[in-house]
Amino acid sequence: MSTRDPIDLRQDRRQWLKSSATVLGASLLPLPALASAKQQVETAPPAPQAKPPETKSAGRFFTPAQHALLEELSETIIPADGHSGGAKAARVADYIDQVFHESVDDSQKSLWREGFRLIDVMSQHYHGKSFVDASSDERIAVLTVLSDNDHMTDLPEVRFFRELKGLTVRGYYTSKIGIHDELEYKGNRILQDYVGCDDPAPMP
Amino acid sequence: MADSEVNLAKTYDAIVVGSGAAGGMAAHVLTTQGLQVLLLEAGKKLPIEKELRSMEWPYDHPHRGALPPDSHSITFNEYTIRRPPYGPGFEKSKHLYSYIGSTDYVKNIVVDERENPLTGTNYAWVRARCLGGKTNIWGRLALRLSDYDFKAKSRDGYGENWPISYSDIAPYYDKVDLYLGITGVKENLPHLPDSIFQRPTKLNCAEVTLKQSLQKMDRVLTQYRAGVTSEGLKHNKYRSRCYGRGACERKGGCDIHAAFDSPTGLIYPAMDTGNLTLRTNAVVREVTVDPQTGKASGVHFIDSQTMKDYAVRAKVVIVAASTLESARLLLLSKSRLYPNGLANSSGHVGHNFCEHIMGPGVAGRAKDLVGKPPTLDDGRPGGFYLTRFRNLAEKHPKFIRGYGFEGGSGSTMFPHGTDSHGFGASFKEEVRKNQGAYISMGAFGEVLARYENYVDLDPVVKDKWGIPSLRFHYKFGDNEHRMAEDMKETAQEMFEAAGFEIVHVSSRVLTEGWSIHELGTARMGNDPKTSVVNQFQQSHDVKNLFVVDGSAFVNASCQNPTWTIMALCWRSCEYLADELHKGNL
Repeated sequence: MSTRDPIDLRQDRRQWLKSSATVLGASLLPLPALASAKQQVETAPPAPQAKPPETKSAGRFFTPAQHALLEELSETIIPADGHSGGAKAARVADYIDQVFHESVDDSQKSLWREGFRLIDVMSQHYHGKSFVDASSDERIAVLTVLSDNDHMTDLPEVRFFRELKGLTVRGYYTSKIGIHDELEYKGNRILQDYVGCDDPAPMP
Repeated sequence: MADSEVNLAKTYDAIVVGSGAAGGMAAHVLTTQGLQVLLLEAGKKLPIEKELRSMEWPYDHPHRGALPPDSHSITFNEYTIRRPPYGPGFEKSKHLYSYIGSTDYVKNIVVDERENPLTGTNYAWVRARCLGGKTNIWGRLALRLSDYDFKAKSRDGYGENWPISYSDIAPYYDKVDLYLGITGVKENLPHLPDSIFQRPTKLNCAEVTLKQSLQKMDRVLTQYRAGVTSEGLKHNKYRSRCYGRGACERKGGCDIHAAFDSPTGLIYPAMDTGNLTLRTNAVVREVTVDPQTGKASGVHFIDSQTMKDYAVRAKVVIVAASTLESARLLLLSKSRLYPNGLANSSGHVGHNFCEHIMGPGVAGRAKDLVGKPPTLDDGRPGGFYLTRFRNLAEKHPKFIRGYGFEGGSGSTMFPHGTDSHGFGASFKEEVRKNQGAYISMGAFGEVLARYENYVDLDPVVKDKWGIPSLRFHYKFGDNEHRMAEDMKETAQEMFEAAGFEIVHVSSRVLTEGWSIHELGTARMGNDPKTSVVNQFQQSHDVKNLFVVDGSAFVNASCQNPTWTIMALCWRSCEYLADELHKGNL
């Protein structure tokens, strides 16, 4: 992706509207910059069952399919590397699921359901397959479109991406893996002496 | 420690209203002098052993340290566009807290905004109703004022001088240092006098770089002067020395009490004298007056839980409810003798309201630290303080008075830099490699005391207990805004001169009240026509009434006020005890 010009999300999404209009209808229309939360609720598709069958999912709010997608999305944002585990290992999707399970913000829930759908619409548009079925590079390509256009906050998929990144970052860097393996945080333990830096004699 | 029963039939030597830095200090000094003291706190007695959890890992907390989903803390934007008592826009939030109550560790210490509405101009009023008040979560920067502050009018012609000089209060700063503990480094600055410091912690590498660069500009960066005991206090069994375990940035209090808080630093020792009666959940609504003598006779308070009303009596009433609450209480205490409120023949109660302006600052990275192995950088009470450099020897053409910067550098439990653009492997690696290289600082500047900045009682709106709310008439002025411009410019210049890569420069001025340093609403002075209390924080009008908190400040200076509040209070309470013994009150 880095060698290409950034994709203009606002232009591209017109084509998704065409190809997926019958499925998604009005929910893909960009909202005015100051769209009210109320409007979002009204235009969002009907909510899926809030509680998926308990045997099938680790999540309490997201469906098994949404949970699987969330795992791949969060891992794309903070992947495992040679240094430490990524968002999947840190169970970031479970953390986010808990946030939504307890949330009282219906407009945010609607945004996320819509966001999950739009991610798959984008993945289908660019790669001909769902996000979960896409390769690592293909997943990166989809999120790069959103990241490169992350100032377009009137678009629901951009708002979703920003929230997704924020919660992934929060979930990851407050996890054991994030704090201890990735950052190798040295604090919150008894310290014999603060090492700091030697302060040379004042300058003449 | 259980609260003792209030004896409603007894006339106490003194009633102290409020248990924060000032009220705790009044309780300490007066009980040590053998006085029978009743300490009234509007909030609850938190089990601070459970409440302060600075060592908890976020992954062991059900919400990773965040507020419960039904609670919300007000953001900068919301302070700007929403109106108290915060109805529309906040329907979903069962509990609403000021901006500082943004984590689960602070929410029980600050008040629910809806129970405590305010009206008038925007104000981010942070109130902590619990034993110890805001000292449970204070920032710990413990600075002295100097004659550059006490005699500021003599230097630039603005406002009023204090009725005291540095030499009057210096011995009491010493007492506070020794009784409560303070860490720092001597710098011999005339405008920022040294304390009697315990062992300091070192600066870290980026901070040393900045310090050395500033020396070329004749500016002084020193270790954060923290109201924290680094060596322990032999006379206090409730407080441990700081053992630098880090994670002090949570602002949720210090659960080993190395950082000063009023309960363990002052109130528990005062209870050990046997002379203190503590009553929590006691919302004082009026200071009562003896119509024969015109003197204060006691207070009325409402039990915050049962709503029952009580009257208690004392020989002396000491108001220490915090700058704005103290002014409110004086204004509420109207009577036939004092129709404008108690201690208010001057009309100055609520006026000359001042504080610190904040917001402008800078964040950067020390390039030579990028990619270095992680170090423990938050294992100490604070980072650095960059001392005032404006309007000392020279005169700035655009504004009077000064400002200082608080700052710090290095790794923290939750990393800096996660708000940078992008995602994926490169984002993750950048956060990791940059985490120890961050350095930032933000300014605190003097807001001039002006008569026209004031609070009064709202004629309609009342709090949960039916007590009239405060109405704000308060705005930063031109001098503050010109100073804020300069803060931003100098912050950037100093970071550039130190060779830091600039990440962010902020010129945004935060909402009035953000510094939580409100001062001046019952100022001291020699002239009863233009001041509320004398140099011993004794009402000019009512001899047995004292107002011993930040409301007595004549100006805000740019230094953080807590240490000065306590030094003044100590001095005033010694005077009070002496006068009481002599029968003069």
